[in-house]
Amino acid sequence: MINLIAHLADWVWLVPALPLFALIVIGSRVLLGRATGDAAEPLTASLASLAALGGFLLLLGIDGMALWHGSVPGHRVSGIWFASGHWQGTISFLLDGLSLSVSTLTALIGWLVIRFSAHYIHREAGFHRFFIVLCLFLAGIQLVLLAGNGLLAFVGWEMCGVASFLLIGYTWQRPVATGNALFAFVTNRGGDAGFLLALGFAAAWLGSFEWPAITAAKQISVADMRLIALGFMLAALAKSAQLPFTPWITRALEGPTPSSAIFYGAIMVHAGVYLLLRLEPLLVQVPDVMIGLVVVGTLTAAYAWLCGLVQTDVKSALIFATVFQVALMFVEIGLGWTTLATAHLCLHAAWRTWQFLLAPSWLALTRGRPAPPPAWLRRNQLLYTAAQQHFWLDKLGHALLVQPTESFAHDLRRLEEHFLDHAIGEPGRGQPIDPKSPLIRADGLPGRVLAASANALQQIENRLLLRGRGGMAEQLLRRIGSYLQTLENLLEQPRYLMMAVMATFVVIL
Amino acid sequence: MLKALIFLPVAGALVVAVFPVRRALLLWQIAMFFALGALGYSLWLAAHFDPAGPAIQMFESRAWNARLGSYFALGVDGISLAMLLLTALLTLIAVLVSRRMEAGARLYFTLVLLLESAIFGVFTARDWSLFYVFWEATLLPLFFLIDRLGGPNRQRAALNFFLYTLGGSVFMLVALLFLYDAAPGHSFAMADMAEGGRSLPLQTQLLIFAGFFIGFGVKMPVFPLHGWLPLAHVEAPSPVSILLSGVLLKMGAYGLIRAAETLPAALLAAQDWLALLAFISLLYGGILAWRQQDLKAMIAYSSISHMGIVLLGIATLNVTGLTGAVMQMVAHGLTAGLLFLIVGLLYQRTHSRDLADYGSLLGKAPRFAFFAAFALLAAIGLPGSAGFIAELHALVGGFGRWGGWILIVCLGMLIAAAYSLRVIGRLCLPGAPMQLADMTRTESAAAALLALSILTLGLWPTPLLDLVAGSVGQLARLFGG
Repeated sequence: MINLIAHLADWVWLVPALPLFALIVIGSRVLLGRATGDAAEPLTASLASLAALGGFLLLLGIDGMALWHGSVPGHRVSGIWFASGHWQGTISFLLDGLSLSVSTLTALIGWLVIRFSAHYIHREAGFHRFFIVLCLFLAGIQLVLLAGNGLLAFVGWEMCGVASFLLIGYTWQRPVATGNALFAFVTNRGGDAGFLLALGFAAAWLGSFEWPAITAAKQISVADMRLIALGFMLAALAKSAQLPFTPWITRALEGPTPSSAIFYGAIMVHAGVYLLLRLEPLLVQVPDVMIGLVVVGTLTAAYAWLCGLVQTDVKSALIFATVFQVALMFVEIGLGWTTLATAHLCLHAAWRTWQFLLAPSWLALTRGRPAPPPAWLRRNQLLYTAAQQHFWLDKLGHALLVQPTESFAHDLRRLEEHFLDHAIGEPGRGQPIDPKSPLIRADGLPGRVLAASANALQQIENRLLLRGRGGMAEQLLRRIGSYLQTLENLLEQPRYLMMAVMATFVVIL
Repeated sequence: MLKALIFLPVAGALVVAVFPVRRALLLWQIAMFFALGALGYSLWLAAHFDPAGPAIQMFESRAWNARLGSYFALGVDGISLAMLLLTALLTLIAVLVSRRMEAGARLYFTLVLLLESAIFGVFTARDWSLFYVFWEATLLPLFFLIDRLGGPNRQRAALNFFLYTLGGSVFMLVALLFLYDAAPGHSFAMADMAEGGRSLPLQTQLLIFAGFFIGFGVKMPVFPLHGWLPLAHVEAPSPVSILLSGVLLKMGAYGLIRAAETLPAALLAAQDWLALLAFISLLYGGILAWRQQDLKAMIAYSSISHMGIVLLGIATLNVTGLTGAVMQMVAHGLTAGLLFLIVGLLYQRTHSRDLADYGSLLGKAPRFAFFAAFALLAAIGLPGSAGFIAELHALVGGFGRWGGWILIVCLGMLIAAAYSLRVIGRLCLPGAPMQLADMTRTESAAAALLALSILTLGLWPTPLLDLVAGSVGQLARLFGG
């Protein structure tokens, strides 16, 4: 037992694995048709909450051990995921003060939100689906927080993205919900590109994906370091909805309230902040990126503050408040106050979860009208309109990115329809190459080449086989045959026979 | 031991020929008994074969004509054992699916069993004169099978087949006599001749090899010598087509491997030319198969294409390529057997081989649809089928020798996919349905047996690879590969 507790940190992989296991069990129940009706709900909910609770208790145990020993377990490799040459993708975990504190808080919040959702989602059509996605998210975010290398973190990062997409589109029957889900997902993919780019650079220049290797990068030039940092910064900005990626988060509120709470109020929105905190030693070496963080953070804070002032519904006001606080964290990181940022992150996450979960009851709790926007804003017509329109970021993005992409895709499609499809050909289309075999059709350039060569070879074949009518060998044989036949006929006539006999005699004599 | 294997089917043929019954079913049962016995016996032999042991095992030899130096010598190595198993299995299939045969049943079963015995002889002979005798002995049953029981053009097809192969074997005989003359000791035993052949100068070796190549190339068939094949395959009764493409073609490749043992220097010199012929056969057969709307003709031409891969594997003269060649011999035997089986059964029901006369078999004849799709996909060499293992070996072996030229093989596969998928699209996908009685239980069992073999070898090829590894390794060592 003591032995088990002493090696508790080796079991940290269970923290993301438990929700995944719950996901598989719930998913197979759904697939087998067992999960229908009210009676099936408690099992689903308790499976998910048990998994979350298990992870939380395990993390608490590891925390306790760390406090007891006065030292954190640090970076540990549990296994090798894949390896090719000197490249290695390991399954490793980095357990330090930062990851342990944030992930313990996350596990607690996750558990509480699951408990809350069991009642909130009760009797909704997608009850089981909701818990499946929630489990996926919990596994993903714990991977991001605990992973000891960028690759594993990226896996979790993507799992969070997918879970977010699925929950925004929770009511997939409504076009608005699916449209918003797609918008959020695509915007996040922009950040993912940065993540992947940074990982690629790290692999190429450092030969490793492990966080310690990336953060302690001393052997590469500052320019290379800056590129890596910029990639991760892009990922962080997108995930944490900083400028210019902010518009996705206002659309992300389509999902059910508990999911909004855990994704955009408490946890996922902080994933970007966490990523930067994790990379703090790297950031310190590139001051210009730090300055960039301060600038972006300040701008986002101003933007979120102004927009928040004019919001009229609870969730929107809350989300702008969240973005404002997260922007402040970016500023803190940019200024180098990482301990403050960590504390800010934890406190804000806890506080905001409570607020979001309370949001549906807000009308009942509050009496009286919400405060109107301040007078100076109302007087400044331009600023007021701009805040109301979220500074037209949506429209700007549409005009600058979506429309050009759409028209480009349109042109490509036309190119394909009018040229490429005809050149390549389609199966079962085209002209029959021989009226006797209508099923042998050839379309497109390769098809025509094949048909032409097939016709040529068939002609050769017919001659070779002696079976084609008028084949050369057959003609030749027939001609020789007719000569011999004539000779035979001639020889049968007595006079020629006599002549032959006489000729023979002459030769003999 | 091997004598018993060769004469078991002869005994069966005798029993079938003289047994005084009128009902065809009883004859079928007798033939089945002997075919099963042959398969069981060859499996027993395979179990007693030690892949790590000496090259030729179960060797037995007695003087046949001491003055000429010919011996009645039998023996097996890994390659010939694989061929024996294939022969026994496909003969069993050919007998199994002929259950409903009424007219000419006695003649058919007798000839098939005689044919099996002759093929066993070819694969086990360790003496070139004995080999030649068995080689010619396969012609007679086949000639009568095609000539008496074939389709409308059968007489021309049988004559064509007979003349082509006989013409080819004349060259082989001349080459054998040359070799006999050149070899010291004047013996026909393969080991002696191999020893003599290796010491010959290159020019003589090349000349002798040319004779062998014409003889074996006709059977295999290789591009300019394949004229008999489309006609014979199309006109032969379907179970005979199974044997013809499944086993008879392999005799050519097998003979070529034996000739390679005897004349290594000639093989090394002609390596690139063999590969050229292989590439031509591959494309030629593939393109013409694509051109055919007649199902049987399509499969016949695809056989030429697939045997091109065998020739390519042999031409690489390295372990990987040769393994690929042997694997492809087995894989093509099974796949072509299954294809001819399906097409033969379809022909039995509709009396048409034209694809245009067929519609979708879905719903009406699901077993037909399944096995047709399976066989065609296996013929492309989809991963999981035996053909994939074989083609991959041949590709890898050939890439080491000819580099980028091996892309031609991929082109051939692409064309194979084109014609196979056309047939699948017609028969096994939704479309205008056709009325057709589904496969009976016996027929399904035969098809399932072949399909299972293809799948097993595709997913777990180790037993066969181990079986042939020793022999192939020894062969490759002759060429320093």
